Amino acid sequence: MHRSRRFTKVATALLLSVIAFVFAFPLFYLIATSLKTKADLFAPVPSLFPPDPTFAPYASVLVTRGFGGLLLNSIIVGLSATIIAICVAFAICYPITRLPASPRLRAFVLNWALSLRFLPPVAVVIPYFAVIQTIGLYNQLPALILVYTIFNLPLAIWMLRGFLDEIPIEIEEAALVDGASRWYAFRTILLPLSRTGILAVVIIVFAFDWAEFLFAFILTATPQAMTFPVGVQGLVTQFEIIWNDMAAGGVIAILVPLSLMLIARRHVMTGLTFGVIREK
Amino acid sequence: MSIAPARPIRIGGRIRTAWKARSRQERLVYQLLLPVFGTVFVLATIPFVLAIIRAVTSDSRGFVGFENFARALSNPLLYEAIKQTAIYAAIALPIEILGGLGIALLVHRTIRSNILRAAIYIAAMIPIVIPQIAVGVVFRLVYLPDYGILNVLLGQTGPNQPLWLSSPPLAMIATASVDIWQWTPFVYLVMFAGFQTVPSESVEAAQVDGATTWTQFRHIELPYLRPLLLLVLFFRIADVIRVFDHVYILTGGGPGTTTEFLSLYIYRIGFQFSDLPQASALAVMVMVAMTVFYTVVSRFLPADRG
Repeated sequence: MHRSRRFTKVATALLLSVIAFVFAFPLFYLIATSLKTKADLFAPVPSLFPPDPTFAPYASVLVTRGFGGLLLNSIIVGLSATIIAICVAFAICYPITRLPASPRLRAFVLNWALSLRFLPPVAVVIPYFAVIQTIGLYNQLPALILVYTIFNLPLAIWMLRGFLDEIPIEIEEAALVDGASRWYAFRTILLPLSRTGILAVVIIVFAFDWAEFLFAFILTATPQAMTFPVGVQGLVTQFEIIWNDMAAGGVIAILVPLSLMLIARRHVMTGLTFGVIREK
Repeated sequence: MSIAPARPIRIGGRIRTAWKARSRQERLVYQLLLPVFGTVFVLATIPFVLAIIRAVTSDSRGFVGFENFARALSNPLLYEAIKQTAIYAAIALPIEILGGLGIALLVHRTIRSNILRAAIYIAAMIPIVIPQIAVGVVFRLVYLPDYGILNVLLGQTGPNQPLWLSSPPLAMIATASVDIWQWTPFVYLVMFAGFQTVPSESVEAAQVDGATTWTQFRHIELPYLRPLLLLVLFFRIADVIRVFDHVYILTGGGPGTTTEFLSLYIYRIGFQFSDLPQASALAVMVMVAMTVFYTVVSRFLPADRG
């Protein structure tokens, strides 16, 4: 009995290690490649550990190829779209969580938001493409900010609604009974209490904006408005042979959402499942 | 604004002021909600309306009825794209769901250390939060001929090496494997969270009764997981329709059209053939299909619906 349990334990540990290896190895090879010199790329057998590791590919991507500008575009678009989305989400969530909104209205708003999640971006971008060209926003950052705001709003609404539902309404009601205005109660009670929630929503929505590719790919044409993922795609298709630069681009694209998600790790699952899974 | 009754003198008056206060709050709901939600609703609905208009008109001839829909539906490549998407889903989804469930069961049963569990939680999050484009880059470095690490590890770097990204059955396996790599951890995380919701009393009772590992899973734990399995399935189906980024980077839909999944197909019709009317007809059909799909599945989603 004891022996067989020990065997199961070892077998499980072994199995989980193999799985972990399969999942981790591609990322390891990406990082290894991003640290290689040009000469290393043409070694007859690609090495797993760069013989003389260098950050030159990162400099080459960000400076020589001018991807620093794309990084800036991604940050501008992501920050703007996130800030607008959180404000709009608050304006929508406040009445449905803090005021006696009818359950049907509440369900309608939430359902409508979630249904947007089921629309494939390619179907949405086709009509937007025509509008954005017509109103002269093609290849402009505001077009991306607009589209990102709308299509990450459902996530912001669902996450924020979950956080607001957890804050007891009684504290605000007490203030209102004492004669405080609704705006005052919002500003001094609800807003400070939902700080953690707001931060989590901001981080996760920003990470989603950051990772978005298809909208940016179709709605931009030049580095003036391109985002970082579009640039990385260009590295792959145009400079096939320069794997170290391509890998460095990939690492940079990964680092931003990865570090953000590590900060907001307790809320990632809530975001990905629209609040169905709640981590404690 | 105070919700205390203004003049609580007579009973009737109090009821009336209470009712007035209530209706004022309900009015406030609409006053706050309508401008913002209305604007967003219109902005998000516009593409749908415009896609319909675009799909039933032609630049030169005005209203053309269902001509673009007929053209879209008579294109054999559409059915090819649907078939490829279905094959992709048939490869990736069962492995993701059964794999994720299996790993969750394994970790739940054998790993007791909270630190180890937390470490696995964070590790499982990594593939999910990586941008799809970067995932494409990662797997180019895995599957490329000559430089790709897979063939190097397999010792297959010669002229007869397997061409993972440019020979028909392999390209499908390569693109689907990326999906599996990225989303099995997601299923794992959802299922692992599900296992934590199973009340320990039921599990203990079953163990006292001498239930085997399998019966315990099948009769005690699975009922708690079923709604989550449905949720995962719905989300993953919606995601398979969206698959674009990593396939665009890995194969571009090729070789030929063997990995040209639905989103890539619509993209090609709209932006490579510049046939926006036909692409709009496809977009309308996909949006309608997904809305119907959502309406049906939303009844089964375990979330509290408002």
